[in-house]
Amino acid sequence: MTVNVVRTAPGGAGAPRARASRLVWFLIAALAVLALSMLASITFGSLPTSVGDAVDVLRGTADANTASVVQSRYPRTALGLLAGLALAVAGTIMQGVTRNPLADPGLLGITAGASAGVVSATAFLGVSGQWNTVWWALPGALLAGVLVHVIGSAGSGAGLVRLVLAGAVVSAVLTAYVQAVTLGLPKVFDSYRYWVVGALGGRDFDVLLSVLPTAGLGLVMALLLAPSLNTLALGDESASALGARPGVTRALGLVAATLLSAAATAAVGPIAFVGLAVPHIVRAVAGADMRAQIVFSAVLGPALLLLADVVGRVVLRPQELMVGVVTAFIGAPALLVAVRRMKGGT
Amino acid sequence: MSRPRGFLVLGRAVAVPVSRVPVTVGLVLIVLVLAACVATLSLGRLGIPLADLPGALSGGASGKAAFVLERLRGPRLVVGLGAGAALGLSGALFQTVTRNPLGSPDVIGLAGGAGAGAAAVALLLPGVVPVPLGALAGALLAIALVYVSTGTGFRNPGRLIVAGIGVSAIAVAFIQYVVYAVERDKATVLTAYVNGSLSARSWEHAATIGIVLLVVAPLAAAIAGRLGLAEMGDETAAMLGAEPGRTRTAAVGLSIVLSAGAVAVAGPIAFIALTAPQIARRLTRGTGPHLTLAALAGALLLVLADLAAQQLPLPGSLPVGIYTLALGGLYLGYLLVREWKKGTL
Repeated sequence: MTVNVVRTAPGGAGAPRARASRLVWFLIAALAVLALSMLASITFGSLPTSVGDAVDVLRGTADANTASVVQSRYPRTALGLLAGLALAVAGTIMQGVTRNPLADPGLLGITAGASAGVVSATAFLGVSGQWNTVWWALPGALLAGVLVHVIGSAGSGAGLVRLVLAGAVVSAVLTAYVQAVTLGLPKVFDSYRYWVVGALGGRDFDVLLSVLPTAGLGLVMALLLAPSLNTLALGDESASALGARPGVTRALGLVAATLLSAAATAAVGPIAFVGLAVPHIVRAVAGADMRAQIVFSAVLGPALLLLADVVGRVVLRPQELMVGVVTAFIGAPALLVAVRRMKGGT
Repeated sequence: MSRPRGFLVLGRAVAVPVSRVPVTVGLVLIVLVLAACVATLSLGRLGIPLADLPGALSGGASGKAAFVLERLRGPRLVVGLGAGAALGLSGALFQTVTRNPLGSPDVIGLAGGAGAGAAAVALLLPGVVPVPLGALAGALLAIALVYVSTGTGFRNPGRLIVAGIGVSAIAVAFIQYVVYAVERDKATVLTAYVNGSLSARSWEHAATIGIVLLVVAPLAAAIAGRLGLAEMGDETAAMLGAEPGRTRTAAVGLSIVLSAGAVAVAGPIAFIALTAPQIARRLTRGTGPHLTLAALAGALLLVLADLAAQQLPLPGSLPVGIYTLALGGLYLGYLLVREWKKGTL
């Protein structure tokens, strides 16, 4: 099995050992990028501080004023770390499971479910504030995910087409509901339009803590599943012949992706493109092995999201551009460039 | 697939093969469309009573009936019919070409571009440029961007859809930013528009979509035969002389013009282009593109959805696009459940 996987890996001409050491170097580089992006995230903001200031704060040698400014950026950096990791790993698993390079968490009804949860809570229960809505976004996202899985995988076959269709169905109905409620109730619309853009700012550590169990469960599942996900790449027949159960692996993989993206969306709102783009970068770096892919996603996803957030803080200073907008404006052109390198056919 | 085939006999020498099922389905759809039109005109507080309707339609309307017919519901109904037919036809062309049952020009950025165009106009040039014009420009710009970035024009469906996802994402992010940045009243109006709406239509709108249909429908009919061949796969189609590349470009082009026309008169209405061809296909159990039936199904869907938008007792008047979204979603769900029971798919 392992031999097969290595053979199918792009650029996998070298011996396994050479590949492994190359991977380690890549991983060190990726971790360095992540560390730099975290440092940038606590350095840049509407109040100017320097990298030196941030380092001083980290070492505990800064004055109280600078320290409080820099420390106010900790929750946002932590959220970026969690959301970026969750979205990227979820995207990697989904693309691996569905073998569809365009699979991303929005496909499973997660975004629509979280939106419906937030809107219902603000409209009918009078909930307000970023950290209260998270308690409604999470169950909304999870419920929608469960619904999609139930509709999409019940009965015979449980094909991926069905799942995608089920996602489209659930998303459409929930989106219609969200639009109807928000257009009918101006007050709800007002808070919804701020939530739906997707932003890291204005949330505190409580938001992070409230989604941490869900995200943690998803990540653990993803890591445990990684070896079985590798066998999926061989095709269902070979995988079954090797004793794997492709159907079960696939279902569990999608559950893990659902948990991860639900946690991220509940915490920071819908963010496009991290789940879609990072897996592509990761495959180019890490090759076909799902274990390596998941590890690299967990490092590069947060790096990308944090850098996008920093860009959003800098371009319109003193105003901020929300990270959801930035990721779309960075990710989409990258996708357009990548299109030209696609092979013919569908 | 055995379809009952009959022949339409014209004189002694001519026998045109006619599939009975599509004709029957077509007639049923026409009757349903007419019924929906009558209901649209006569239901509700301001409706023209059924007994007065023939008189009113033949020019004898006066007072309230004339106002309802000529200003309030007449243009709206005609725009709904036209936009629905255009969307149905557009979706049928697009799905046949891309062989993707979820395809419509919206997938390649048309709806997103239209929304972003409307948003840009609302934000940057409020009151200077009419919003529909901005929407049209945005839609065409998005498509142009997709066309350029694929590098192969409209020939490669896979690339087309990926590029469409990219362009749509930018557009949606832009819309969300504008909705976030402008004050609430404007944001509400913009959101309603981005969903697609038929309220307050005029006869100019009706004329616009009518002209689009008159120009495009014959062209669509002209390539319908080759489209059927293109469905068989590139190699077979090429062997049969169907020039798959060119047919595809032509079909996508026509599909875009139709959807853009609909966007200009009604905003980006969801799901009609997607569901109408599917309904046509399932009703006939056939394989061809069934352009006429898809157009009829589209008109029926949109008029029904707008009927719901006008008559359902919900707070606020919701744009028709929300109803098509909900209806389309439920219909897709119904299909899923049905095919699940049958064990297909």
